[in-house]
Amino acid sequence: MTWEFLLGQFAAQFGLWWIILPAILLGIVVGILPGFSPQNTLIMLLPLTLAVPVEQAMAFMISLYCANHLAGGIPAILVKIPGSGGAAATTLDGYPMTQKGQAQQALVLCFTASVFGGLITTFATIALLPWLSQIGLYLRSVEMVVVMLFGLTLIAVIAGKDPVKALIAGFFGLLIGVIGTDHIYNTPRATFGFLELYDGVPLVPALIGLFAISEALVMIEEKMIVDQAGRERAMRARWADTLEGLRLSLQKWWHIVWTSFVGLFIGITPGAGASIAAFVAYQQSRLWSKHPERYGTGIPEGVIAPEAANNGVTSGTLVPTLALGVPGGSTAAVMMIVLQYHGMVMGPRLFATNPEVAYGVFVSMAVAYIFMLFTILPLARYMSRVVLIETTYLAPVIVLVTIVAAFGERQYLFDMGLALVFGVIGYIAHKTNYHVTAILIGILLGPLFEQYLVRALRISQGDLTVLFSSTLGNILWGLLVLSLVLPLWRNYRQRRNQAVE
Amino acid sequence: MKKPQGADLVIPALALGFAVYFFVSIADLAWEAKANGMVIGAILVGLIAIQLVRIGIGLAKGQASLGFSPLWEPREALGKRVGMVAVTIAFIATLNWLGLTLGLALALFAALWIMGARGKTLAIVPLAVALAAYLLFVALLQSDIPHGPIERLLS
Repeated sequence: MTWEFLLGQFAAQFGLWWIILPAILLGIVVGILPGFSPQNTLIMLLPLTLAVPVEQAMAFMISLYCANHLAGGIPAILVKIPGSGGAAATTLDGYPMTQKGQAQQALVLCFTASVFGGLITTFATIALLPWLSQIGLYLRSVEMVVVMLFGLTLIAVIAGKDPVKALIAGFFGLLIGVIGTDHIYNTPRATFGFLELYDGVPLVPALIGLFAISEALVMIEEKMIVDQAGRERAMRARWADTLEGLRLSLQKWWHIVWTSFVGLFIGITPGAGASIAAFVAYQQSRLWSKHPERYGTGIPEGVIAPEAANNGVTSGTLVPTLALGVPGGSTAAVMMIVLQYHGMVMGPRLFATNPEVAYGVFVSMAVAYIFMLFTILPLARYMSRVVLIETTYLAPVIVLVTIVAAFGERQYLFDMGLALVFGVIGYIAHKTNYHVTAILIGILLGPLFEQYLVRALRISQGDLTVLFSSTLGNILWGLLVLSLVLPLWRNYRQRRNQAVE
Repeated sequence: MKKPQGADLVIPALALGFAVYFFVSIADLAWEAKANGMVIGAILVGLIAIQLVRIGIGLAKGQASLGFSPLWEPREALGKRVGMVAVTIAFIATLNWLGLTLGLALALFAALWIMGARGKTLAIVPLAVALAAYLLFVALLQSDIPHGPIERLLS
């Protein structure tokens, strides 16, 4: 690959602006709505992508996919409703920023972290593709068990003042996550007799219920979702607030860089996705912060980490798809179908036989992110005005529209009822301080954790020592222990210093 | 004043009930199918026991009561909250007959009325949202959401 080739690719992709811009718009609309995942949208639009030349089809799909990842953070920040699982961690600090009247800054942080996180990892992928494609081969079920545990430790991290309640919520979620058929014999477990639960608890209704519906049922207690001071600040929203968000992003540039790489490495692993990447990045960001106690109160790092990570996943997901022929996620699988329909053979040969397609995919991603920065950043000022809508109107619209969106993923009426059930559980959890995010982390990571654990144990015929049998796995175990011990040691040192003073 | 902690028992009670059901449902399965759930369930039951002891100590010391007030306070929002859930149940139950557009417009009208909205907005908001939902879910994305009289008329 030469510079001339790369520049030619960029020029060609910029020439596809007439495809990229509508795809970004559609991706943003679909990303804001929980329930409409990029893979569902791409499947619905397959007749279009199969009919046009492969370069145009890929530019359309990639732009829609990236815009979707970016847009999931918008409702997470404004009304505490993550547009996708990858944006669930964004609610932890994004929504508190909105409540403080800093919605515009939070949105700008979300956009810049997403765009630059996506851009950095895309360029890194282009430069390091041959080596990155090998990582997926080293991350097997044993190592993935530890990666999942990194995400699960966030339950303890967000526990706050009442760790017992957070752990009950987390383990309740984990047990809900085990509902469905098991991974070896396909025997149903705790499905209450519903066929719709044989594939496990669907994520979208859980997400909608726990966040959107429960939050709407709580928000009707107040006239608006922001207090008087926040309202006045939102009414005075100026371009200066957008610039303030940009300044904060520049100030935290290193944070964007390293958390986006967390997303890239997790994205490379087939099966792991934006949700785990965002939660792990948030957990690591809090762990290495000088002021971990401020996380959850509405700080820029708490928005940057999950957003940069879940956009770092976008390029990572495509690495095993193109380099190994193993789709890194369901959206990547749809893209693979389109590529194969157009006669592309996945795997290392693709880079030799069709470099304009193989590298073009990543160049297209970089171009989409550049377009996104200029199209969505100016909108932050206007989007932030959502907080000025009275809850009299906001709450019913949120409840009923998200209930409809719950239908979107699997097209079952059952899922709408399930979302309402989760909404009531979420409301009770909210009012009694059982962390809904902890329940969601359990539901999200429970099935993945079980899948990798059972696979590892199956290979070792039930021998638990297999979990400590690989060098990379042991390094990850060491880092996990460090992640758990470091906060305790830091607290001990802080208390000792206070005692000395 | 005693802290009402009866509400704090609702999530543990739900979790415990579910854990018991889970254990019963996996009793006859192979170890691979139940190992993970058994471990998670056992830890969950242990955590619930700790929470019960904590609440029990609060009750014994006279610092807590078994009140459920945190769940329905503030009282003035209770009617709106129950009404919203009832409207949502009715919307899901009638969706197959009314279809998305008409069902959503009627449900939103009822929910907004319960929330206290009056005047022109009571008609404009449901119609605008239902139209947007029709355009996105039916016209653009062509999802399989139930069709009713409006969708049949427009198709």
